Amino acid sequence: MGCLPVTTSSSVSAPTSRLTLSPRQATAVRAVLRRYRGKGSAYLLPCLHDIQAITGWLDADLAAQVAESLHIPAVQVHNVLEFYALFYDHPVGRTIVRVCDDLACYLAGSEAVVRACAAHLGLDPEHGGTTADGEFTLEIHPCLGRCEQAPFLMINEEAHGFVRPEQVPALLGGAP
Amino acid sequence: MSYQPVLTARVGKINPTSLSDYEATGGFQALARAVELGPQAVVEMLREAYLLGRGGAAFPAGIKWKAVREAPPPKYVVANADESEPGTFKDRILMESDPFALVEALIIAAFAVGAERGYIYIRGEYPLAIARVQHAVNACYNVGYLGRDILGSGLHCDLEVRKGAGAYICGEETALFESIEGKRGFPRLKPPFPTEYGLFGRPTVINNVETLLCVPPLILRGPDWFKSIGPEKSPGPKLYCLSGRVRHPGLVEAPMGTTLRTLIYDYGGGVTGSGELGGVLLGGAAGFFVGPEHLDVPLDFDGLRRIDAVLGSGVVMVFDTSVDMKVVLRRIARFFRHESCGKCYPCQLGTQRQYEIVARLAMDRLRPGDLDALREIGQTMRDASICGLGQTASGAILSALDRLGYDEMTGRFARFNGR
Repeated sequence: MGCLPVTTSSSVSAPTSRLTLSPRQATAVRAVLRRYRGKGSAYLLPCLHDIQAITGWLDADLAAQVAESLHIPAVQVHNVLEFYALFYDHPVGRTIVRVCDDLACYLAGSEAVVRACAAHLGLDPEHGGTTADGEFTLEIHPCLGRCEQAPFLMINEEAHGFVRPEQVPALLGGAP
Repeated sequence: MSYQPVLTARVGKINPTSLSDYEATGGFQALARAVELGPQAVVEMLREAYLLGRGGAAFPAGIKWKAVREAPPPKYVVANADESEPGTFKDRILMESDPFALVEALIIAAFAVGAERGYIYIRGEYPLAIARVQHAVNACYNVGYLGRDILGSGLHCDLEVRKGAGAYICGEETALFESIEGKRGFPRLKPPFPTEYGLFGRPTVINNVETLLCVPPLILRGPDWFKSIGPEKSPGPKLYCLSGRVRHPGLVEAPMGTTLRTLIYDYGGGVTGSGELGGVLLGGAAGFFVGPEHLDVPLDFDGLRRIDAVLGSGVVMVFDTSVDMKVVLRRIARFFRHESCGKCYPCQLGTQRQYEIVARLAMDRLRPGDLDALREIGQTMRDASICGLGQTASGAILSALDRLGYDEMTGRFARFNGR
C-alpha cells in the first residue's frame, strides 16, 4: 500500500513519462488514497479529481495506486483517465488555459483570441499543447457554457469573459 | 414583457451563499408544503401541471416520478447538471445564483419518490457552480434539511455533489449513471429506462436542473398556475439561452411559447453584424437551424415539432447574414466527431465521415456524391445510433443546407453575403 509502485501497473499500457512528486505532494497524495481506501468504483472520479488537484496529472504508477486503494481493476482507472477530457495521463502545464472556440464564441471572435494565446505561448493555434518549460497548457475547447460572455476563456478555474485578443498577454502574465 | 420571472426570481437578488437569504425569499416553504401534502399528492401535481423535461427530451417529469414512486427501494434521485450542449448556460446561472433552490427541489424529489439518496452531477468546467452547490448542500446538512429525519418528517435524504470530467456524452442520462459509477461515460441500451434500471441498476429519477427548479414554485402555487403560463401542450416558464449575433445576449426567462421575434428584437435588442437575420440555431449543436421565415413560430416543444425543429435545452443562437455558414457547419461537425463516445459504430464512424464531407464543403472542394452521402450518413446515425448524441449529430448540418438557402450548383448559402 501507500506510494510503493505496484506490479499491476505493467498490465496497463504505460505512458513513457513519469511523475515526480515533491515530499509535500507525496504526503498529500497518500492522504487522499487513504481517504478513499476500499470505497470502490463509485468513488473513482472524485478520487482522481482530488489527486489531480495535487499532482496535475497521473502516471501509470499513480493510476495503479488509485486502483489498489479503491479495490478496482487497474484497467478501469486507465480507461477512465483516457476517456475524460479533464483527466490527464500525460504531463500538462501548471497553468491550463482553456479557450472556448465553439459556436457562440466563434461568432464573437474567438479565433483571434485563440491565435493571441497561441502566439503569446509559442504554441500551435490549431491544436494547442504544452510549453517547453511545462508552465502552460493551451486547450482549444468545446463550448464552456459561457455563451453570454463570449468570447470566453478559463485560466485554471478562473473565468474570463468578453476577452479581447489584446488583453491576452496581460491575462497570461509571465509567459515566454 | 409584463411576465414576472419565477425560476430566476432570486438570480442576482440574493446572496447565493446565504441560507437565511434563501429562506427569507420563500426558500424551503415548498418542502414544508410537500411534507404536508404527502408524496402521492406531489407526484400528482407534477402530472396535472404537465411539466415537461427542460433538458432537451421534453419527457413528462410526472411520469418518471410516478414510475419510481411505485418501484421498490432502494432508489435514487439525480440532478443532471452536466450542461454541455453548445449554446446552453441556463443551469450554470441557476446553480451559481440560486444553489439552494436546486437542493430543495432534489429533496422534494427524493421525498416524493421515496429515495433516500441523491446526486447532483455538475460538469467539471463549472467550478463556481460546483462550489456554490456544495456549499448549499453543506449548509443544509448543518441545519437539518439534509440527513436523518428532515423537519421531523421521518424522511432521510443524503445528497452528494459529483464533479464531471469533461465529456459531452455524460449529459446523456445513462452515460451519466455510468460516470457516477466510476466508469467511462458510455450510454446504455434503452430500454430498460432509468425509472426501472438507473443508477447502480436501481429505479432512478433523473431530471435537468431547470426542470427541478420548476417544482418548488409549482408546489406552492399549484398546477393551475403552472398551466396558465404558455401554451396548453407545453406549459410553464422557460429559460432561453440567447447568444450569437444579438445586441444583448443572455439568459431570458419568459413564458413557454415566446416567439423568436420577441426574443431577438425585444429581449435581445436586435441583430448585430450586418443587422440582417440570416438564421437561428435552436436547441444547440444537437438542434436545428431555422430561417427568418420562422420568426413568429412559438418556441415551445409542440410548436417547434410542427416545423421539424426542437426547443432542446432552450438554445437560441442568432446568425446574421455576414456569417460564413460553412465554417459554422465545420465547427458543428468537428464537435460531434470529438464528442462521440465511440461505443456504437453508426455514431463513431458517422461523425467522422460527416466531418470529412463538411470539411470539404467548407473548403469548396466537394466531390460528386458527397451531399448524397452526407444525407445518408445522417439518416443512418438517426436510425441506428444507440443514444441521442448520434441521433442528433446531423440535424443542424442538414437543416442548414435545407433551410438557409444553400445552392448545390454554386456551393453558396445564397442568403449569406459571406459565402
